[in-house]
Amino acid sequence: MSERPLALTLNGRPLRAEAVPDAERLLDTLRWRLGLRGTKEGCRTGDCGACTVLVDGRGTLSCLTLAHEIDGAAVVTIEGIDDDSTGTVVREAFRDAGALQCGYCTPGFVMALTGLLKERGSAVPADALLDDLGGNLCRCTGYVAIARAAELARRRLG
Amino acid sequence: MTAAARPDADEKLRGRVVFGADLEEAGMLWGVLVLSPVASGRVRSVDLREARARSGVVAIGASDVPSLVGGVTGDAERPPFPTETIAYPAQPLAAVAAPTLEEARQAARAVRLSIDPAPVVTDLDTVFPEWPGPGAGGSSRIAGHVRARKGDVDRALAGAETVVRETYRTSGIHQVALEPHACLATVRDGRWSVRTSTQSPFGVREDTASILGLPEATIDVDGAWVGGGFGGKGASLLEPYALLLAAASGRPVRLALTYREEFLLGRSTLPAVIRLETGVTDGRIVARRVRLLLDVGASLPGRDFATGYSIGFLLGPYLTPTFEVEGYAVRTHKSPFGPHRAPFAPQCAFALESHLDEVARAAGVDPVAFRAAHLWTTGATTPFGQTVGPFGLSAALEAARTRARRWRAEMPPGHGVGIGMGFWSTGTGAGGEVRVAISPRQLAIVQGEREIGSGSVAVGLGAVAALRTGLPSDRIRVDYRATSLAPFDSGVFGSRTTAVLGRAIDEALTALSAALAARLGTDGPVRLMVAGDELEAVDGTTRRPVRELLTAEERRAEGLVASGRYYGPGATIDESVVEEGTFYGYRDYTGAAHVAEVDVDRETGAVRVVRYAAFQDVGKLIDRASATAQVEGGVVMGLGTALTEEAIWTDDGRLANPGLLDYRIPTLAEIPPIEVEFLEGFEGAGPYGAKGLGEPPIIPVPATIAAAVRDACGAHLTELPLSPERVARALKLA
Repeated sequence: MSERPLALTLNGRPLRAEAVPDAERLLDTLRWRLGLRGTKEGCRTGDCGACTVLVDGRGTLSCLTLAHEIDGAAVVTIEGIDDDSTGTVVREAFRDAGALQCGYCTPGFVMALTGLLKERGSAVPADALLDDLGGNLCRCTGYVAIARAAELARRRLG
Repeated sequence: MTAAARPDADEKLRGRVVFGADLEEAGMLWGVLVLSPVASGRVRSVDLREARARSGVVAIGASDVPSLVGGVTGDAERPPFPTETIAYPAQPLAAVAAPTLEEARQAARAVRLSIDPAPVVTDLDTVFPEWPGPGAGGSSRIAGHVRARKGDVDRALAGAETVVRETYRTSGIHQVALEPHACLATVRDGRWSVRTSTQSPFGVREDTASILGLPEATIDVDGAWVGGGFGGKGASLLEPYALLLAAASGRPVRLALTYREEFLLGRSTLPAVIRLETGVTDGRIVARRVRLLLDVGASLPGRDFATGYSIGFLLGPYLTPTFEVEGYAVRTHKSPFGPHRAPFAPQCAFALESHLDEVARAAGVDPVAFRAAHLWTTGATTPFGQTVGPFGLSAALEAARTRARRWRAEMPPGHGVGIGMGFWSTGTGAGGEVRVAISPRQLAIVQGEREIGSGSVAVGLGAVAALRTGLPSDRIRVDYRATSLAPFDSGVFGSRTTAVLGRAIDEALTALSAALAARLGTDGPVRLMVAGDELEAVDGTTRRPVRELLTAEERRAEGLVASGRYYGPGATIDESVVEEGTFYGYRDYTGAAHVAEVDVDRETGAVRVVRYAAFQDVGKLIDRASATAQVEGGVVMGLGTALTEEAIWTDDGRLANPGLLDYRIPTLAEIPPIEVEFLEGFEGAGPYGAKGLGEPPIIPVPATIAAAVRDACGAHLTELPLSPERVARALKLA
């Protein structure tokens, strides 16, 4: 398997990694090469959304993305939105709506919603927002509180 | 809605919580299990030479185990790796570890397996096409047999005006916690340590000790944050393998399942066949016969708890004067049976509620009124001779009927409204212990469980201590300790945790109050109050900072410590009705009545849930937000059991849908509005009369959806899940 250097902007800072295998998934680069384990590994088949990160601002499944596929892109993970204004609104909405239990799907939902609200603004219709979050699975909450949180975040940004 | 935030909310929202799957240690190796490619067979050889020839690889099989554990012998019935018989698909036959996951996977592929495949048994109807008669107990396919009887059922049924006989079938379902099983093991200086994602650190310690043959005192289990359990993380699964690999390599070893392996190896709830026969005279139930075949996969004979526990759910919560129940736990070539949130109760409620609906129709009485007339109320005697304590199900049903009438009046033509019920025992029988430790600024609750998401530990224990002491929640901290340092507890399951540990906290706080009174020189009880930054101990007009009451050593360590324990009274049943096997008593009854409105597509059979309401007996509501979250989550999980979730096995025993694309759990797109109401006042044995809430909300869901589907289109379904194919087929028959 061949290996090449990888260059990314990660959470606002330039990053260069040597000898990254061609077949390495962005999820594994983040979690095990760089130690950013806030991004969660669920199914690794693109069905659960737990590994969602932002690539050039768009919600992206890091398990189905090869690191080299996005060479040069700007990647934002859950660790990168601690002080982000939209991220903060989303986190507070999740907290206030009680939209988390075990917390394993939570970073993926927070990233997906943050990405959507950044990309489309608070003018995005509530239904469209929920449709877009439909690819993220949660087994604890039954989604009711997550839907409430999404609406709360949308209104607070409006 | 705004509520007090969970204490773990901020860390979880920032992705800072370390789950079992996130564990890493310097120098660790990555473990991979080598799984059997067949569901049934005989191991001729497991050749590890090629794998071991790879650089940095450690490989172990059955023959390596005795030397790794120092010559002791584990439970012969469940060795880590089989020496001969393969009992289920994907059974681990060997394990490897390597410096990277990729190298470990390549090494696993280099393990040469030689296996003689044997015939595969997957289907209950193939094992027992007819009800097994007397003498079936000798069959190697039977892992357990229970039978109980009261009165003469044959005579009562023969004399009944109306008798209805039906057969129900339920599917295998997976827990689908989003975090796969994962652990990290270290073996050093004779100490076997494992950090793991588990609902029961002490259970894992006991299991691991038994499997490996090691004394419990040499094993230390430290829980990690758990990314969902739902029953699937209650017993040991990966820990013995990770520990053996760590012993073989001398390095820490991380072992985690892929999500596909999670479906293959996770301990899922398996299919069942439920036969029910009920006789009615003058609108009253006179007798019922229950026959249950429960697939328990490769579970060991004599270790089946599910059959004896479940079968009571096919009689209650209804008065039934004469009955005969008989159940067989049937062994098949599937991964051993495991509990799934309210083990098997939703399936039983589906069968019994649907059956009673059919019985009422046959007898010409209103189905809901019929059920209401037989419902247990506080003080009633159950079929197994237990007395029902405060029980809110009648009140829940009244509320549900009112809601159902309103929805029926409002709904468009073609929709249907159904009511379903279920009951549960919140089981304070499995006991536990805690320590409380007072330091100058905080009260700590020291214990060995980990938070699995329900809030029973991170939220519940603090809430109980806050209620009891009057301290604000930021002055109370829940401490998490490994089994070597924590007081014993049974595990986070059975909707028991807050109730049992809450009672233990009560006892510990009483002891703490007495200890503080002795130091204050008062009679007590001593109250704790916040004074500026510090805590004060107050008794009448005597008050002193806690700091001044502690010894220097206490100030350096945990603080002033007091212990509490609660081992609730075990439930006893009327043994005179038992003819064979073990039946389990229930305690602290709780119940729920649910209402659903559905729309059924007459062409495709697809069911859309339009809206949903749950009326839950909660005893005493301690934290509304957490309680509501449990009900919402339970209802949606139940919608999966009702509508889509079904493990499918091929004839040669392979799981055909080991992935989230083909095994469909509910998604955000399918969620109806859900109203949640609580009935208080029917108090349980938990703190302040609370009843456990983790499991009860899932129980009535499949029954409720089935009733609504029948109301909408007349289709009477006897098989779960209510998939479009099954609904369409039933519509043709309706």
